Amino acid sequence: MSALLTTALVFPAGLWYLALLVAPLLIVVVFSFGTRATNGGYEPGLVLNNYERLLQPQRIEPFFTSLWMAIAGTIGCLLVGLPLAYFIATRAGQRKGLFILLLVIPFWTSFLIRTYAWLIVLGRENLGGFIGELVGDPDFRILGTPAAVLLGLVYGYLPLMVFPLYVTLERMDRTLVEASKDLGAARWATFRQVTLPIALPGLITGSILVFIPMMGEYVIPSILGYGRTFLMGNALVDAFIQTRNWPFGSAMAVGLILVMLVTITIYVWFVNRGRHGRDVSVL
Amino acid sequence: MADQLDDILRRAAHNRIPRRSFLAAAGLLGGSTALAACSSGGGGASAAPSTGGEATFPPAGDVEKQLFMYNWSDYVNPDNMAAFQAEFGVEKFQYDTFANNEELLAKLQAGATGYDIACPTAEYVPAMVEGGYIQKLNWERIPNQKYINAAFKKQGWDPNDEWQLPKDFGTTGILYRSKLVTEPVTSWQEFFDLAKGKYSGKVVLVDSMGDVFVMPLKMLGKSLNSVEKADLDEARKILLDLAPHVLALDSDTYQDKLASEEAVLCLGWTGPILELRANADTADIKYVVPSEGSLYWLDTWVLIANAPNPNAAYAWLNYVHDPEVQAAETNFTGYGTPNDEAKKFIDAEVLADPAIFPPDDVMSGLEGAVDTSGNEQRIDIWQEFKSAIGG
Repeated sequence: MSALLTTALVFPAGLWYLALLVAPLLIVVVFSFGTRATNGGYEPGLVLNNYERLLQPQRIEPFFTSLWMAIAGTIGCLLVGLPLAYFIATRAGQRKGLFILLLVIPFWTSFLIRTYAWLIVLGRENLGGFIGELVGDPDFRILGTPAAVLLGLVYGYLPLMVFPLYVTLERMDRTLVEASKDLGAARWATFRQVTLPIALPGLITGSILVFIPMMGEYVIPSILGYGRTFLMGNALVDAFIQTRNWPFGSAMAVGLILVMLVTITIYVWFVNRGRHGRDVSVL
Repeated sequence: MADQLDDILRRAAHNRIPRRSFLAAAGLLGGSTALAACSSGGGGASAAPSTGGEATFPPAGDVEKQLFMYNWSDYVNPDNMAAFQAEFGVEKFQYDTFANNEELLAKLQAGATGYDIACPTAEYVPAMVEGGYIQKLNWERIPNQKYINAAFKKQGWDPNDEWQLPKDFGTTGILYRSKLVTEPVTSWQEFFDLAKGKYSGKVVLVDSMGDVFVMPLKMLGKSLNSVEKADLDEARKILLDLAPHVLALDSDTYQDKLASEEAVLCLGWTGPILELRANADTADIKYVVPSEGSLYWLDTWVLIANAPNPNAAYAWLNYVHDPEVQAAETNFTGYGTPNDEAKKFIDAEVLADPAIFPPDDVMSGLEGAVDTSGNEQRIDIWQEFKSAIGG
């Protein structure tokens, strides 16, 4: 009976996963070996030529641009998100709920509209022009630079970093920190040896949550980057919309997935390395 | 600041440059897709689309009580729609929007039925014919097509005039702020030189491969549809030469960049002209079709295969090309009409506007676009160009 219940409960999620993740992924992989139909779209085939084209220098470039933008964006989210999450989890007291609410509120507005709003904030009539006056350069601008894209990325994905960090930090046993201090550890040593390891699962989750969508970001580089920062998301849109080459776009998508898998694997391995050793030494 | 955002959003959602404007419409309008999704089961005995062979048209019947149109946003005069409904007793006139031709194709490809009429750009018609998404038109039921100028007939996209009824047309050209650009801008060559020189970093191009290639190819005196390797090699050099001087690739908000004077030169479409001109601050906006020639696009009416309301659809197709009705369309959209007779009723100001109705000598230098998006060399150059702009 309980097995039946388990099956019944897991079934919707399983079906969802199968129909909306596994099946489309398989279709993308199959398409990536096809050819472009005369008038665009997909024609069945078994060619490697889409992958060969991916390796051309001008095709590789957006992969690297995306990779470094996403890594920089993740680090940015971490630098802003960790102190914020720490503050809300440990210092905000009764206003915790309020701060969380404030983090959530922007999500009530369309992402596109919020990005357009940045266009005005950073524009020449506002922040961009103001900084330009300060540094005495009338042609100074923020929009259309990688910095604007980076800012947009950090702004857009910050909550995805803060929430998992908040959850782990909130559950942290504060007496551990006190014990660490009692045993003579300074603030930094306590943070490094007690708080950070405890926050690590949240940190890994948060990083992956922001890194993945950043790798495929399309709207922010188009609007805030003026189309000058050419990321994989933009290359994908070109492949599917402007050139209607589904097989090549699919190959690009598969390439993107592979790059993300490799990066995340390295990252997780790097953060976790030596962790078991430490756990044992603590015991 | 809030006003500014309002302006941008309003324009992004309602500007009459819906063509190829991907972000704006995709994000903000999100045209009703429920119809497409729900109606595929309701067909009943639906005739297969006529592919090849002599078309036999189904007999005319009574005009149905409803009509489903799939179109660019703000692309039909609402007054005409209301008048049509009253005249033909069409109680429900559903107007759904798509953001670009690709979205239209994709939806039809996915099996969207339930629409009667759509408005693709002419170069997409062959793909729709091949996919079997549209049906041949019975010209006997569209007598007003006699007003269509011969220049728009028997073109490459529909050599025998079987599939589409021309709707309106526009051009790709140069927009510039004449207050700030005092030099003459009459040709692609001048645009290129100014963009590389004095106005470096103040140049916007629309994010559309087919339109951007017009500039180098016309500078070289080639067809803008050229897929010759030698031509494209030369075009590549010109584009990469220009790349470091480009401020933005932007199809959605380029009029804002022109309005804020962040950009003064732009390779773009006629769409934003009327609005920029209406504002005192930006009234100095000028639009030219370069002397080497340029591209004209033609949007067309097509009848969807298995249209559930074919009689209402034919009634509309004929109605919309009634000269007075068509004139109201032109006054509303600000795009040129292929309907000669309608010109008698168009506002004098609109008719005299060379940006909307280019003079004959300019018209003769225009070339219709063929779908070249499958050419790999173009795509490779396009991506190289895009990467070069940032770097």
